[in-house]
Formats: sequence, C-alpha cells, structure tokens
Amino acid sequence: MSESDEGFGFAPDHDAPIPYLLRIRDYYQTLGYGAPYRWAHYAEVPFAPVAKPLAESRIVLVTTAAPYQPDKGDQGPGAAYNAAAKFYTVYSGDSTAEHDLRIAHVGYDRAHTTAEDSDSWFPLPALRRAATAGRLGGVAPRFHGAPTNRSHRTTLDTDCPELLRRIREDKADAAILVAV
Amino acid sequence: MCHQTVSLVARHLEANGIPTVVMGCAKDIVEYVGVPRFLFSDFPLGNPAGRSRDRESQDLTLELALRVLETAPAPRTTVQSPLRWRDNPDWKLDFSNIERLLPEEIARRRAEFDRQKEIAKKIRVKPEAAE
Repeated sequence: MSESDEGFGFAPDHDAPIPYLLRIRDYYQTLGYGAPYRWAHYAEVPFAPVAKPLAESRIVLVTTAAPYQPDKGDQGPGAAYNAAAKFYTVYSGDSTAEHDLRIAHVGYDRAHTTAEDSDSWFPLPALRRAATAGRLGGVAPRFHGAPTNRSHRTTLDTDCPELLRRIREDKADAAILVAV
Repeated sequence: MCHQTVSLVARHLEANGIPTVVMGCAKDIVEYVGVPRFLFSDFPLGNPAGRSRDRESQDLTLELALRVLETAPAPRTTVQSPLRWRDNPDWKLDFSNIERLLPEEIARRRAEFDRQKEIAKKIRVKPEAAE
C-alpha cells in the first residue's frame, strides 16, 4: 500500500466522471475508423442572465429522446442501438399531454441502464410538478425534440435556429435541455 | 452526440438571450463544447433526469438544475449532483472501453456499426416528419 492509500479515504482512481471523449476516440480507432471525430469545441461561452424569478418564468423543455414508432423495430427497455428510430428534423409535443419517448436511437449505457422509465431522461412530469408547486411560473405549451446529428452544420445552421424560433413562439423565458 | 447537440442548442439560445441549463451525464463532452450552466449527474448515460422509478431522485435532480439556472454566477458553471449511482464505481469501467473487449467482439461491433450507419443514412436522406 502506498502512502496515499493510508487512511485518507481517497476514492479509487476510476471513481471519476467517465472520460467519454477519450473512450470514444479509442473505441472507434480500434474498430478501424481512421481520423477521430472532431467534436464541437469553443473557448468563448455566451451567457444570458436570468431576468426574473423562476416562479414567474415560463420554462421550456428540450430533449433528444424520440417519439416511439411502433413500425421501427425494438425500442423497448434494453433494445440494441436502433438507427431506424432516429429522427432528423425538430419536432414538438404538447406539454400537457402524455408522451411515449424512447432512447433506443442513441448510445446510452446499455450495460448499466434499463431504459424502462422515461421520467429518468424526459423530466416533463417533474417539471409539471414543480410548476404546480409554484416553483415555476409555468411550463411552456410545447416541448421540443432536438435531432442528434453528427453533422455540426445541420445542428448549427438548421436545428438550432428552428428550435429558437419555436421557443420564441412559445414565449419561454428559460430552457432546460436534457441530453440522453 | 446527444450531449454535443444540446450543448450547441444551449449556446445558440443563450446567444439569443434565452438562459439555459443542460442536464446530462457526460461531463467532459458538455464542458468541451462549452455551455453556460450544467447540472452533471455522475450516472450511466441515459439517466440525466434521475434514477429510474424513483420520483424523489427525479425531483431532486430537476430542483438542482433549476437552482443552477437561477444562481450560476458566470458561464461554464457545472454543478455535480450529490447522488451516487452505486457505492461501487466499477460500472464506470465498461462504457466503450476498448481494453475490455475481445477481438471477435470488436469485429462484431464494427459490422453492426456499419449496418446501423446505412440505416441512419437512408432516413437522413429521406427525412420523415416527426411531429
């Protein structure tokens, strides 16, 4: 035992956030896909101050989950990655209705996640509870689905402006964006 | 891709005057893109809004995100949820960890990845309205 392990209560080395950028790079390189993916990366970060208390604010939810499509193969708990269930245009849903959103179209952790409860990736019910409790002024009338696209151009030039347009239409004061 | 996508959307909304908070489980990806406010859950990908079938955990996770939204003093504010997925952190060793895969499994995954890419390409070329 090294000195650093002697009774200081240190956590194991690997008990830290997973280094996804490194894992994914090594993974696809070993699979044989040449040049690594160039992730979006910025030095400057915009910042819009919150203008009023949340109890007076209308909050909009943005998700990368996909509406269930019964004709597109297995999208249930534990389903293998299913590209057929992907979507490539922004969609919107009624925030007051119930929705069946799935995550079989993305690379979630299939070894350690059951994907059986959409509330664990789509917090619309929790958001409604917060609004009912008076924590929020309200939930925007629609939530919005953001396509997960490898193409930066598509996300930046098409999907981002479309999401902004819809969120402005809904007169939302602030947004919660949930990544699966 | 999910984390990159929402990070880019967050940046776009902020640049246009709408404050945002990102909820996610991939800390390095979100911070590498660069977002104003981020509630990080150190959970397996797929649980950005709390534990499955655990309303208390889901309400706490949302409440933390709301507090990050209203109190972040500057961009690149990351708060890590105090919730732990498991006492044993070994689950973190598995995801896309090439060192843990046998050569035949690597070959199988490559074939499957190519197959899924073809399927995705067909949808992308002929996108269907998903309203």
